[in-house]
Amino acid sequence: MNVIVCVKQIPDPATPGALDPGTKTLKRDGKLILDESDSYGVEMALQLVDAAGGGEVSIVSMAPNGEVSGMRTALAMGAAKGVLVSDPALQGSDALTTAKVLAAAVGKLGGADLVIAATESSDGYTGTVPEQMAEVLGLPSVTFAKKVVVDGGSLKVDRQTEDGYDEVTCPLPALISVTAGVVEPRYPSFKGIMAAKSKPIDTVTAGDLGVSPTGWAGAGQEIVDVAQAEARAAGEIIEDDGEGYTKIVAFLENLKVI
Amino acid sequence: MFEWSDEHRMIREAVQRFVDEEVRPHVDELEHGDLPPYDILRKMFATFGMDAMARDRFAKQIAREQAALDATARCEEPPARTESGDDGGGLSLIPIIELCRVCPGMVTAMGVSMGLTSAAIMSKGTIRQKQRWALDLLTMDKVGAWAITEPGSGSDAFGSMRSTARRDGDEYVLNGSKTFITNGPYADTIVFICKLDEGNPPEQRKVLSFVLDRGMPGLVQSKPLRKMGMHSSPTGELFLDDVRVGLDRLIGETEDLPSGGRDGAKATFQQERAGVAAMALGIIEECLQLSVQYARDRVQFGRPIGEFQLIQEKLARMEVARMNVQNLVFRTMEMGAAGRSMTLAEASAMKLYSARAATEVAMEAVQLYGGNGYMSEFRVEQLARDAKVLQIYAGTDEIQITHIAKDLLRT
Repeated sequence: MNVIVCVKQIPDPATPGALDPGTKTLKRDGKLILDESDSYGVEMALQLVDAAGGGEVSIVSMAPNGEVSGMRTALAMGAAKGVLVSDPALQGSDALTTAKVLAAAVGKLGGADLVIAATESSDGYTGTVPEQMAEVLGLPSVTFAKKVVVDGGSLKVDRQTEDGYDEVTCPLPALISVTAGVVEPRYPSFKGIMAAKSKPIDTVTAGDLGVSPTGWAGAGQEIVDVAQAEARAAGEIIEDDGEGYTKIVAFLENLKVI
Repeated sequence: MFEWSDEHRMIREAVQRFVDEEVRPHVDELEHGDLPPYDILRKMFATFGMDAMARDRFAKQIAREQAALDATARCEEPPARTESGDDGGGLSLIPIIELCRVCPGMVTAMGVSMGLTSAAIMSKGTIRQKQRWALDLLTMDKVGAWAITEPGSGSDAFGSMRSTARRDGDEYVLNGSKTFITNGPYADTIVFICKLDEGNPPEQRKVLSFVLDRGMPGLVQSKPLRKMGMHSSPTGELFLDDVRVGLDRLIGETEDLPSGGRDGAKATFQQERAGVAAMALGIIEECLQLSVQYARDRVQFGRPIGEFQLIQEKLARMEVARMNVQNLVFRTMEMGAAGRSMTLAEASAMKLYSARAATEVAMEAVQLYGGNGYMSEFRVEQLARDAKVLQIYAGTDEIQITHIAKDLLRT
């Protein structure tokens, strides 16, 4: 079984981020790391290939400046090879263009039995790329997968919903988006880290893939404003007169937590 | 080498994540409770494939040694050693550095078991002995202890050594007591160093090393001793009362090793001293990071204390120490990658400087933290207690100085 995972390389969330005042987007000129959201997809892909008893995991990514640091992390975990699309003309691309580029990268790898993406990235949060990719690739798509089992030529997915989960079956090949925490991402072994450097990453431009970049001008979306997040309001202090718990219960009921 | 490679950085990040998730939550139990460090260490070995790598290296070394023995038996030249292609020890030094940022005692326990004890067997033992004992130590499947220090013999390890082996038919009878033995309370495999008593004066006696197993009749392993720091490294005493062993437990299976038992122990000292520099680096890096943060956050007289020059001086000295010790670690790695090893004097100089730097930095971190630094709630308190032993074990500062001076004055 061959699986392709879409991985995004993002600025390290542990370091202070900065916005480009002109484009109102996150600056991405420093070292990028593997988006933690995608580490779950990589782990799931590795587990599915292991369970199938053969095949390999490949990765595709779109990032500026030929950045591969995050991809190396996925390769160190066990992925076999990758395609990086890096092209200055892709700056300002909207979600649909990103989906077209990544779909073309999947095509360059010859397709797969399964394509996996995170439900959304940790820095952009559009949450639309996986479904757009599925449309471009002509694949059935299941979102918010929290459990995935391959059963012959089909896929059985527990799909997270607000109330619980749906049991969905779909034919392969397919594209799924997986939720964070769906599996426990493995630590890369030392051997895996040392081997990652020599695993192949094919770096290509949009033109190599036959995709026309639209850049800022042609993007179907625009960030019109960036505002400071509201400061958190002060909490309510309840003096416990012995009946304080009833107020806590009422508070939680109001939030529909219980 | 002036900086970590991309691969080293990835390894550091991965080990940091492991330490954050698997060690930090248990620091209290490791330091002040009864949690021995071995299960967490084993988990680290399994997680990063360090056990599998140790098995691979072991299999290759044994195959190489067997081929050399076979060639010698056929009166042929032993096969030339091919390049190992390793990174000079970075893969083993990085876990030492990262663990030492949080729990240096764990490194002491790990280093003595899979470093010192296994090295004693791997450097002088027969192939059969290596297969019997060393592999399980290298993978951390078993816990090892290296027993040289005695109540009356510390720095003068061989001169004052009273533990004895006496021949009795085909066997030896071992007697003596050892103290300050890292892993002593929990060790499965113990390398016991003693003198062969042939009725001759003690200074003329041969030094022999034997491998003992936990539970042998006459061998008693004490409970952990209470000590100033390194609480996560169990330290104990060993008592031997007529422990009977065969030749199969004498390292090298001969009383006359080509370079003698003393040289075997000295080679072990050398390796131990290089490892201390990596330990010092971990302690220094953590203390510096904590101190910089505290200097930014702690406000006195209406200003962050980092704005006061006396605090800046402390931070600057810590950074100088960090750079120097890191360069020593890089040097060790470069020499290892080039297939060269340090002289005993070089290793001593590195150990002397690194241990003093770690202690000074950790104590200055306590000073910078003021009253908070003296409280166990703040991490620098533990690191300062832990750092001190770097100047004492693996040869005291004073012993390192004699080794350096002897080398300088040699004619």
